[in-house]
Amino acid sequence: MIDIDKLKQQFNNELTHTQNIDQLEIKYLGRNGIINDLLKNIKNIPNEQKKEYGQKINLFKNTVKQEIDKNIKIFNKAKDSKNFIDNTIPGKTYPKGSLHIISLAIEEITKIFENIDFIRVSYPEVDWEYQAFESLNIPKNHPARDDVETSFIDSPAHIKFGKMVLTPHTSNGQNREMKRVKTPPIRMINISKCYRPNWDATHTPMFHQFEGLCVDTDITIANLKGTLDYFAENYFGEGTKTRLRPHHFQFTEPSFEVDISCSVCKGEGQVNSKKCKVCKSGWLELGGCGMVHPNVLKEGGVDHKKFSGWAFGFGIERVIMMKYGLDDIRNYYSGDIRFLEQF
Amino acid sequence: MNIKITHNWLLEYLDTDATPNEIQKYLSLCGPAIESITKMDADYVYDIEITSNRIDSASVFGIAQEAASILPMFGKKAKLKTNPLTDFKFDKSQVKQNDPLLKIDITDSKLISRFVALVFDNVNLKPSPAPILERLKAVGVKTINNIVDISNYLMIELGQPIHMFDYDLIKDHQMIMKESKKGETIVTLDKNKVTLPGGDIVIEDKKEHLIDLCGIMGGLDSAINEKTKKVVLFVQTYNKTKIRRTNMLTGIRTIASTYFEKGLDEERVEATTIIASRLIKKNSQAKQISSIIDIYPNKYQPLIIKTTVSKINKLIGIVLPKEKIISILENLGFQTKLLNDSLSVIVPPSRKNDVFIEEDLIEEVARIFGYHNIPSKLQNPTYVKQPKDMENIFIFQNKIKLLLKHLGLNEVINYSMVSKKQLEELALDPKKHLRLTNSLSLDIEYLRTSLIPSLIKNIKDNEGKKEKLKLFEIAKIYLPKDNDLPNEVYKIGIATNTDYLDLKGIVESIYKELNIEDEVSELIETKDGIYITEIDFNKLIRLSRSFPSYKPLHPYSVIKLDKTFKIGSNSTYAIIKKLAEKSKLLQKIEFISLFENKMTLRFYYSCPIRNITEEEAKLELEQIK
Repeated sequence: MIDIDKLKQQFNNELTHTQNIDQLEIKYLGRNGIINDLLKNIKNIPNEQKKEYGQKINLFKNTVKQEIDKNIKIFNKAKDSKNFIDNTIPGKTYPKGSLHIISLAIEEITKIFENIDFIRVSYPEVDWEYQAFESLNIPKNHPARDDVETSFIDSPAHIKFGKMVLTPHTSNGQNREMKRVKTPPIRMINISKCYRPNWDATHTPMFHQFEGLCVDTDITIANLKGTLDYFAENYFGEGTKTRLRPHHFQFTEPSFEVDISCSVCKGEGQVNSKKCKVCKSGWLELGGCGMVHPNVLKEGGVDHKKFSGWAFGFGIERVIMMKYGLDDIRNYYSGDIRFLEQF
Repeated sequence: MNIKITHNWLLEYLDTDATPNEIQKYLSLCGPAIESITKMDADYVYDIEITSNRIDSASVFGIAQEAASILPMFGKKAKLKTNPLTDFKFDKSQVKQNDPLLKIDITDSKLISRFVALVFDNVNLKPSPAPILERLKAVGVKTINNIVDISNYLMIELGQPIHMFDYDLIKDHQMIMKESKKGETIVTLDKNKVTLPGGDIVIEDKKEHLIDLCGIMGGLDSAINEKTKKVVLFVQTYNKTKIRRTNMLTGIRTIASTYFEKGLDEERVEATTIIASRLIKKNSQAKQISSIIDIYPNKYQPLIIKTTVSKINKLIGIVLPKEKIISILENLGFQTKLLNDSLSVIVPPSRKNDVFIEEDLIEEVARIFGYHNIPSKLQNPTYVKQPKDMENIFIFQNKIKLLLKHLGLNEVINYSMVSKKQLEELALDPKKHLRLTNSLSLDIEYLRTSLIPSLIKNIKDNEGKKEKLKLFEIAKIYLPKDNDLPNEVYKIGIATNTDYLDLKGIVESIYKELNIEDEVSELIETKDGIYITEIDFNKLIRLSRSFPSYKPLHPYSVIKLDKTFKIGSNSTYAIIKKLAEKSKLLQKIEFISLFENKMTLRFYYSCPIRNITEEEAKLELEQIK
């Protein structure tokens, strides 16, 4: 019987000394190479040894293959010193465009909410005062309706629905979605452009909001907390915590302001016993939310005795700022290519 | 609004072992947000945010009341030392609707819900005692003298603004409360002459002489001055809507007006008046010479809200024992009556502008219990169908956005509004656009009916920043309709500074991506070296196919032939293509090159059922002439 170990030794020896790996490959693995000869020889092996013989040869064949492959790479590198290729030169240039940072955030947020059954909707950006205010329990004379807070359109007022406005928030979708769905469940995510007459370092007259609305039997504050925690973990990263603080909005009762734990100091407010520069107190304000006010449910034609719900409305520019620290939001809408092409 | 109070001042009403830092932390979680604490001498100053519905808590006492409810939930000792709102009530024998010393005429009962005035004599003006001076200084209020300081001091302590007049400077000692006429003027305490918009609450002592712009600022010529001997103490609750309107229209905002515009409760007037009278007597040795003039026609009728323990727990999502719910509400000044599961709650007058329905009570219970103590639990999963038209908008937007990005274009988002100039430069009629009445800038006055003006601006603004610019925007345009909301239609706008065929190729790529086989029909405009087009989004959705028109593979030969044509108006690519397509064997045409006026095309001929010869293909090609 053939001595495989001896052959192995011979191969290793030749491998260390060879100048031509291709020749070595042919010698062992070629059609008339050593290994094929061994295999051809199998007919001369007694039947009861054939199996073991075959296994041994195959094992040897694999070893040889692996070793040769490994060494081919080393050899080729050495060869290149003659025929030099500079692999540090950049590859061929393919076009790389960019999506707007707002588009990227909208996609991310939509996906996060789709995973918990929320559907994205699209509602008007130019709407009646009724949709933007009355349907949300915001009466006439409320400060939010002043022309320093809302952009009005030069157009005749509707007898029933009032003046035409640019939606100052995405909440105008609440009443529209309730009326569209008619009977809950409602799981809405409304992402849209919003407008307010405010233009300075931290405000642009157009901005984006995303609004969540969930109406069903037995919806609780605990459910709102669950959803906010889910969003915070998925958007801002694992371990992000949320907290609710009392607040006041006309269209929710109770109303809350929600904060998320600062990713820099992990909610401690301190880094190396110095005040955290990002958040100052460990928390960053995300936005407003609350349990849908019964008047809002009534106005949407939803039985407020049977159903309850929660709602929130957050700024997209704000969450981007909180996540990536991009705080000059005026660049967002300047169209400056140097800003756009970075994303 | 924000108020400032000091820690020691708070301790006059609150007995507690909590430190300022603990007070900040716990109150911010369950009640008013304490935004900062500043150490000042032996005291601490809290800067506190008060939400617009809780003006009742915007005072030292209000914060003490919140603290007394909240701190025990965190294991801290906290108790009110005194409750002026329930402890101090007018002595009925002293109260009169009118008094000959001061004749009152309220011309319209809608202007004011409670009017209280008292006259004091022998006022001895001097600086206020040290504690008042120190506290007012700590919270940033200017001190004047022992009388004026009392009004500021009590506004902060009890949340009810007060005004003081010099009694002798009121002509005929009469006050007529009325609505101002447009154009009437008053010189206010800060020596400004204010021309009134009309409809403001004012007081006139004789015809056409105003002595008070009520709720906002007193008049200069009835103000306390160094000669003042007699003082009118004036404590009122005005119609909040009127105050807010005057604030807005005159632009004059004072601390007092930020209180009045939110609506104050009438019962607080009694405690404030009694404490103010005591301080006037004590700090200036004055004597009260009038009765308590109190005009209060519609007395507070307590509101009773009916709810159930189960409803409270159901909305919060937790099981709180009845006793806990009741103790929380009682600590906040509500009276409760429990019968099995049902709960009747009497709302205290201080909360009359804030608590109306059971959800308002649930908020009180939940916040004092602590939002941080409520569990976090996602609602049960459910299925809601997304309307197909909405789904399409988002799916197609995404598809096209990604395609354009990968083709090397940059997405831009512009304001939905453009300037009149931008419209006119493109011969668009501004009248056919919706216009904002209160635009901040002429640059953003008209709602777009096309994305082209914005994109042209983008290319121009970016000149010199990058050689080749290829931009796109997907956004709504707003097409006005008669007596209705505009039609909001999505468009894709694409602009480049490269060349015509570059932009055309981009549009063709969109068509290919959506399996649209039609010819590109969009107009490509050229202006100042900018190539620009606009595609209707709904049209793309309509034309798109989810699956390309599939041709089965066949094993037969494909003959490729190149031919060069001289192009001209009679032999354009489109004309040649039309001719070539007459051949049944033509599979496709490929554009190879264009050199001067010579265009080379490649024609692919084959037949799905047999092999064709090169000769056959050449014959087909010859037909194109």
